[in-house]
Amino acid sequence: MSILINSETRVLVQGITGFQGRFDTKHCLEFGTRVVAGVTPGRNGETVEGVPVFNTVRSAVENTSANAAVVYVPARGVADAVQEAVEAGIKVILATSENVPQHDASVAVFAARAADATLVGFNSNGLISPGSRCKLGGIGGDLPDQIYAPGRIGVCSRSGGMSAEVCFALKQAKMGVSTCVSMGGDPITGRAMVEYLQLFEDDPETDAMVIFGEPGSTHEQEVAEAITAGRIKKPVVALIAGEFQERYPKGVSFGHVAAMIRGEGDSASAKRKALKDAGAHVAFSLAEIPLLLETAKG
Amino acid sequence: MRLTEDLTKAWLRDQGLPVPQGAAAHSPETAAQLAHELAGPVVVKALVPTGRRGKAGAVLFASGPSEVRGATEELLGKTVGGHSVSKVYVERQFPIAEELYLSFAFGARQPRVLLSRQGGVEIEDTFKNHPGAVVEEEIDPNRGARPWHLTSLWERAGVSGALLPRLARLGTELFRAFRKADGLILEINPIAVAAEGDLSLVGAMLEIDNNALFRHPVWEALNSEEGTVLDTTNEREQRVLQANKRFPGGAMRYDELDGDIGLLVAGGGAGLLQHDMIIAAGGRPANHTDISPGPTPEKLTVLLEAVFDNPKTTSLLVGYNHLQMAPCDLVTTALVAAIRSRNIDPRRFPIVIRLFGPKEQEARKQVGVIPGIHYLPPGATLEEGVKKVVELNRKVDGTAGEG
Repeated sequence: MSILINSETRVLVQGITGFQGRFDTKHCLEFGTRVVAGVTPGRNGETVEGVPVFNTVRSAVENTSANAAVVYVPARGVADAVQEAVEAGIKVILATSENVPQHDASVAVFAARAADATLVGFNSNGLISPGSRCKLGGIGGDLPDQIYAPGRIGVCSRSGGMSAEVCFALKQAKMGVSTCVSMGGDPITGRAMVEYLQLFEDDPETDAMVIFGEPGSTHEQEVAEAITAGRIKKPVVALIAGEFQERYPKGVSFGHVAAMIRGEGDSASAKRKALKDAGAHVAFSLAEIPLLLETAKG
Repeated sequence: MRLTEDLTKAWLRDQGLPVPQGAAAHSPETAAQLAHELAGPVVVKALVPTGRRGKAGAVLFASGPSEVRGATEELLGKTVGGHSVSKVYVERQFPIAEELYLSFAFGARQPRVLLSRQGGVEIEDTFKNHPGAVVEEEIDPNRGARPWHLTSLWERAGVSGALLPRLARLGTELFRAFRKADGLILEINPIAVAAEGDLSLVGAMLEIDNNALFRHPVWEALNSEEGTVLDTTNEREQRVLQANKRFPGGAMRYDELDGDIGLLVAGGGAGLLQHDMIIAAGGRPANHTDISPGPTPEKLTVLLEAVFDNPKTTSLLVGYNHLQMAPCDLVTTALVAAIRSRNIDPRRFPIVIRLFGPKEQEARKQVGVIPGIHYLPPGATLEEGVKKVVELNRKVDGTAGEG
């Protein structure tokens, strides 16, 4: 099984006629994702990789029963595109764009939450459930099977690139993933990390979880609190990068825009400590992740 | 980007908000002339985009034009918070009876408001000493800050009577301005209250979202001018910033650090992790980079040349995540161009490459002809790349020591 997406998921792509939309749609179809519709205003009637294009999300949904959306529009159009998908009743929306203006991002996040839709992103390369042959977004590129093997580990990463490294390390250790979510690296994300972990907790076919975190934000702190409170009982292995930042003055930003030290509480070492104290398994390298998962299994 | 006070106040004034009369001056003469026009006691402040200017001695009070001239002479040329002062702000003093604090900023997913009856001091200090005096609340971005909401917040902060509705209305207007400016932080400290009850935004700081500059062409133009960049940016870092403007696509980042291992990493997460691992392995990075996937080779070459031109750098690690959205040979094309233009011999300047994904065979072929380049075999981990470069770099250091 998996979270959020499965073999029944019917995907529509907003901005399918653009370069990235076409590129990723081709790879998604090759992998087995049921991409059923594309949306680009003014291009109704065209096809991309055999997928019919519509003018609006609503007409795409009415004609194809699509129930998930991937948004490939420039950052300035993201808030509108997400709201269009929400209003058409879509419940899983992936927003790939990075550097979305924060006022726009928060408006989109609120619209999705109010409709009980899961908005994944911003600044995400997607999510993949290898066992269901379903992926949304560029995750895995043209050869997802070389990186993501089917299995029973749930992965949630702040970094799209690191979701690949974590899953590759698992694959080399003969482990696989139920679903891997690149949750987004921007300061504002559609959902909190702990919300994805809660889905994994409730998924009967996920045994344990791996998170990749960075300095900045309260995501990992919230995960630690959920473990302490007993809301998350399955083993959690955490790799938190960015400890080196503590050698530099506060306010210097490295990596993702979100990975900025704002206070003591959101540094890499503070996050590691909070997770460790809560009972999570803290890894210091990729190779250590499968070893800790083995240990946790007992 | 943080706007200087003159821009912030001009913006607020344009939105119809109450701001003391004032303007910027580049010389003691213009400052004195401004003071003459304002007639009466004024404040002279260094115009630099940084906070805590009062503590840095960058805010001076003057009773008239001659004192203003002296104050301006004192401030111009000073360095405040890493910025050299090239202009000052001359503003009419407001008769303050009471000082309040109000700010809007972003939390994890939405804007929030912070307010207090204790203005005119750093809000961090107020929070530390009297946590109860600071009221904080989240704002629904689709509704904005409504007057009745702000009324109850100011009430909680201890305000009563005729001041209450006026502060609430002011706050609603300020949130509108914050939103319209694409602000990340709008801090009013203090909101000054005169004895007769007039309100004035005496202290105002606005940081705007660089990702929204497309909606603000005037500020966008300023952002690309010199002077908004920290004066500590060196010539190589400037070259990379210039390349961002010259070539299409996302911005590359290049920041020099104190070590000697050059880094070319894509993906924020992989950059953070490899940096940690280099330090754990006993090395020191010479720079930090962050590049969006798929820049043109020409653009990437500029960044690599900066790495090679840094006199402290003695080796290079090209450490990429499994590429998922861009081809590998784009990176090696840029690398070969930079090696040629800078006459780098990788037998003496070790280069380690960990680069897998589309067009990997083409990439391997391209650098295979250059002796001394270590292109790690398929399946090698990020850790292995780090260990290799630290080990080779140590040998370089050793040779230098013997020489």
